[in-house]
Amino acid sequence: MTDYLYDGTFEGLLTCIHFHYYNGKASGIYVRNEYQPSMLQPYLEVETDTNKADIVYEAITKKISSYDLRRIYRVFKSDDAEKEKKILDYVRLGFRLGGKISMMHGNPAVFEIQRIDKKVGNEVHRLKGLIRFSELDGGVLYSSIEPDHDIVEFLAHHFCDRYKNEPFIIHDIKRSKALVAYGGDWYVTHFTKEKVSGISADEQKYRDLWKQYFEDIAIKERINPRCQKNLMPARYWKHLTEMQ
Amino acid sequence: MNGTIFDKLKILAESAKYDVSCSSSGVGRRNNGTIGSSDAAGICHTWSADGRCISLLKVLFTNNCVFNCEYCVNRRCADVPRASFEPEELAQLTIEFYRRNYIEGLFLSSAVEISPDFTAERILECLRLLRRKYGFAGYIHAKIIPGVSPELVHAIGLEADRLSVNIEMPTSKSLELFVPQKKPKEIFRPMRQITNSLIERNALKGPGSMFRGQDVNSPENYLTPGSGMLSADSRQLRENQNCSEGSEEGVKAIVRRHPRKEVFAPAGQTTQMIIGAGGETDHQILTTTENLYHTFKMKRVYYSAYVPVVSSPILPDAGTPPPLAREHRLYQADWLLRFYGFSVSELVDDAHPDLDPEVDPKVTWALRHMDQFPVEVNKAPMDMLLRIPGVGNVSARRIMRQRKVASVKYDDLRKMGVVLKRAKHFLTCSGKYYGGNRFLPEVIKEQLLEADDGVQLSMFDTADSRKAVTGNDRLSL
Repeated sequence: MTDYLYDGTFEGLLTCIHFHYYNGKASGIYVRNEYQPSMLQPYLEVETDTNKADIVYEAITKKISSYDLRRIYRVFKSDDAEKEKKILDYVRLGFRLGGKISMMHGNPAVFEIQRIDKKVGNEVHRLKGLIRFSELDGGVLYSSIEPDHDIVEFLAHHFCDRYKNEPFIIHDIKRSKALVAYGGDWYVTHFTKEKVSGISADEQKYRDLWKQYFEDIAIKERINPRCQKNLMPARYWKHLTEMQ
Repeated sequence: MNGTIFDKLKILAESAKYDVSCSSSGVGRRNNGTIGSSDAAGICHTWSADGRCISLLKVLFTNNCVFNCEYCVNRRCADVPRASFEPEELAQLTIEFYRRNYIEGLFLSSAVEISPDFTAERILECLRLLRRKYGFAGYIHAKIIPGVSPELVHAIGLEADRLSVNIEMPTSKSLELFVPQKKPKEIFRPMRQITNSLIERNALKGPGSMFRGQDVNSPENYLTPGSGMLSADSRQLRENQNCSEGSEEGVKAIVRRHPRKEVFAPAGQTTQMIIGAGGETDHQILTTTENLYHTFKMKRVYYSAYVPVVSSPILPDAGTPPPLAREHRLYQADWLLRFYGFSVSELVDDAHPDLDPEVDPKVTWALRHMDQFPVEVNKAPMDMLLRIPGVGNVSARRIMRQRKVASVKYDDLRKMGVVLKRAKHFLTCSGKYYGGNRFLPEVIKEQLLEADDGVQLSMFDTADSRKAVTGNDRLSL
């Protein structure tokens, strides 16, 4: 039983799964830079191999389902501490049971994946609403976020369609990366705050209008801060215009 | 009148906030214009201090009103600042908010300035600017003012995603008392027109899963004048529906229109009524709700707990807390109607005219029908699973899914999302019962209240509503 270390990419994880089947069982899979070696636990640094990754990728699609492959990818993008091991358990079970695995809601391995997948999906949905764009000089829309999970790419489809004629940037400050999009095309790139120019002339006016609207729309007789916080966790407030 | 955009937005948002609906759901649409799209599930953009979600820019077009509705802040004789938007001004504001992802679309309601048709024409102008000049493909919810001509209703429906006509009061008696200038006929005529327009396009969907498996777009559902009278008696309503006023030929042949060519209000119609202003019972309110669902096949009926904003001899005193707990129970009952296959007669009757404030309506029903419980989760059909308190649509579907491949064990239920705190008293798993050892309604109710105490009321955290829900001296324990 060996701990496998990979480079943090999805292909790297798939290579580790391949190693698990052909080079001896994995006791755990960890990202190389975050791994703390111990005296008793042997470990192996797995070099990412795209051929091996492709084999596993294809096998998951064919022997389990493409739905489960997408699900595994979403879980891979979560911030769960043991996501790699959980994905390995799910894939192993999936190779035995096939496409019906996602119906086994009571199985602990399936339950964990279902739970994390839901958390990622929920955050994506939440951010579709909670992202606030500011108009920069030159008309680019800029938004900064600090999501729990690494999800900027899951937002691309929604916002590219919605703002197909607007250039926009969704900046994940926590991970120093950004989704850059214009005219329906998008890519994810390394990004830092210094690249952002000043706000446009009208921007402050609309921010103020929005803040004022936000204040006015609440019914004083029904004020309920706890309900508000339940629905909109305070960790998102930092980047909301109306909460500044 | 000619204030800045800040003043106008302040006055017209202030006046619109008592409109309940803010949902942006019901229509999934890719960007077919310049900017915007619509998510079928709806997207909430923020939550205001009262805990209500803000999805749409909810404003009145104007609060200059010729009507004098008793409960309304903007009634003619009230001394409040007045303002009106210009169509272009509001369209631009919507687009700028939308670009910054503040909102999902526009919810446009209005007071009646000069005449219903005059106001509706201004609203229509604004919506056309949005859709055509700005190429806006986001969500638009437009409120239809009673008394607007059918042509304008139709034209607004072609621009908007959802239409709503406020029924305002749950019975015709209180409508007469509080809203003297709105006649039931004027409220039902546009409702009927909207439903018929949807049937013509084969696009009527109906509320929740209420009409699953039935063709709501069939000619029998086409509404003729005279149907849909406001009455607390559903039998009377059906009789009204059958005797078509004047025209004896019955249902005319429907002129089918192609839904792709001319989309009319794809997210359907809704309505709202005020709770706690008149003296209605929950029975009357829910019967009216059910009638609206059966007759007009509305997507939703919203309830608005009455907030005393004006002093009037016939209304509750200022300072009376809004009946939030009651509103909550009504919504729970509403969900049971739309998604759980319940009918109003099962939830409330003449012996129990109001919903139980202590436990939710599904538990109340279950406790009155102990002969149907406990339910075996591995054998029961879907509609019976849905009737177990603590089992929702998602968990019931998961139970059905897992049953195809493996039996459902008790520990699995929690993982499927079943609320065992409630459900354990009403189900068996492979023959074993997990509740207490006394299967009596009083005992189970007592256990449920103990389990709920302190947790149940996270939605209404004020001392008043806390008392209103638990009702008894449980608080002092």
